[in-house]
Amino acid sequence: MTMARLTLTNGKSVVKPFNRIWIVLAVVIVLGLIFGYIIKLDSEGISFKPDQLPIILKKLFSPHRGETWADYFAYIPKLQNVLIMTLEMCYGGTVIGSALAIPTALLSSRNIVKTKWIYGPARFLLNLFRTIPVTVLAVISIGLVGIAGGSTLAGTIAITLFTYGVMAKMLYELIETIDMNCYEAIESTGASHLQAIRFAVLPQIYASFAGYVIYVFEMNVRSSAILSYVGIVSIGTIMRIYEMTDYDKVGGAVILLFGVCVVIQLCSDLARRKLQ
Amino acid sequence: MKNSEKALKKLPKKWIINLIFTVALIALVIYTLEGSTINPLRVKQIPFIIAAFFRGFADILWPALFGFDGYQFNESIIYLALQTLSIGFFGTLLGAILAIPVAFLASRNIVGKHLAKVGSVLLVIIRVFPEIILAYILVKGLGIGSITGILVIGIHSVGMLGKLFAETIDEMDRSSIEALEAVGANGLQKVRYGILPQILPLMTSITLYRLDINVRSATVLGAIGAGGLGVLLTVFSDPPAWDILATIMVAIMAMVMIVDTVSSKLREKLI
Repeated sequence: MTMARLTLTNGKSVVKPFNRIWIVLAVVIVLGLIFGYIIKLDSEGISFKPDQLPIILKKLFSPHRGETWADYFAYIPKLQNVLIMTLEMCYGGTVIGSALAIPTALLSSRNIVKTKWIYGPARFLLNLFRTIPVTVLAVISIGLVGIAGGSTLAGTIAITLFTYGVMAKMLYELIETIDMNCYEAIESTGASHLQAIRFAVLPQIYASFAGYVIYVFEMNVRSSAILSYVGIVSIGTIMRIYEMTDYDKVGGAVILLFGVCVVIQLCSDLARRKLQ
Repeated sequence: MKNSEKALKKLPKKWIINLIFTVALIALVIYTLEGSTINPLRVKQIPFIIAAFFRGFADILWPALFGFDGYQFNESIIYLALQTLSIGFFGTLLGAILAIPVAFLASRNIVGKHLAKVGSVLLVIIRVFPEIILAYILVKGLGIGSITGILVIGIHSVGMLGKLFAETIDEMDRSSIEALEAVGANGLQKVRYGILPQILPLMTSITLYRLDINVRSATVLGAIGAGGLGVLLTVFSDPPAWDILATIMVAIMAMVMIVDTVSSKLREKLI
């Protein structure tokens, strides 16, 4: 690659550095061509019908034929049981999963466990575990405990596993950024590793950890609807039962879930501001 | 009494609040577990289910994974994984392109305080709107397939990308722009030599981070009809066909690990 050599007016010559943006662009274009070909193959024979979108939106967000808006909104309070079930699964799963993530995160932190052959494998296993999609975690949970009798246990376990993976990763990245001076100071007084962790690590991560828990809870509520696609009862179940027949009920469920997400977001913003 | 002991006594009694908070947290967990009943007969089965899950990885269906022995390549799981990867790639690209104008709209530096409020509220709404509902509506409205998946991921990514892009723009160092102004650069030159060199590496890094998230969510969104291999995960879930699920998981693990490694290595180089 020849570099552009410029001669300035004062007679000195400088080399214009190669702009790396061209490499990035080239890679993006090559990948785009390959992936574009794959997408094109998949899209052949599939009818793309954008004219359906307004029709569906109207069906979702307006009363059923022959019904009034009062009927439309009267359906939403009937969803309270399934909403409570969803929130229970998300809350239990988030808290238990976050608690389980703490030891794993400590074990995977480079600055706490200084031995490479401990944090290396711990990280690898954690990353491997994190690749399992939440739908598969749900299938495993259902296989383990079943969903008979409207039990929320399978959902709670699925969300626990998912939270565990996400949280352990975020936590060890957080732990690696802490100030290690107090850790060393406490260790130098003769404290054990556990005592040093208790008094030097935990106080430093406490506030951010609480923020993460709220963030993951929010994320879990938003994604809980997907669990219904493998059989766990949640708000998403309404979306599945009434698809094709009663889109107005689905619309009610959508409004409810979005509303709950907004409320949680507002509360979590408030809580995070208090924590800082 | 020594001075240090006195000081210790004077410390605010934080542990009482912490204790109350912890007890409330745990009590609520116990309350939520109330609905979690389990059939006692089922408990005995748990070891067998775990064994079946791991046996699935011993019985991986290699022909289906790589597409030989009666399977065409374009029916294979690797091919579907590539399709999922393509959805994640184009979704992220679309999201990044859409996020740039919205980020400028949400940046106090560029549009001022009041207009930036409008932009950031728009970003919050996009971020809070559940991706699964968006996928549901777009799949019903536009049809099943990869294009819908790309649109879902693209639109949803704007929420996070736009917010982080706007922060990057706001934290930009103004002195180089002022220096360019001082030598008489015009608007376009200011953007080219003052703004872009500062924000492009950071924006690329943020986009790479989002690519990792998007490839993961593309595997899940397939269940709703947004293309890729996600749909197989639900088709073979009831009753669970562990060998097929394990085969799909191997493809997902390889794909996500590669994307994760490449994205984090590139991000290390960028910053």
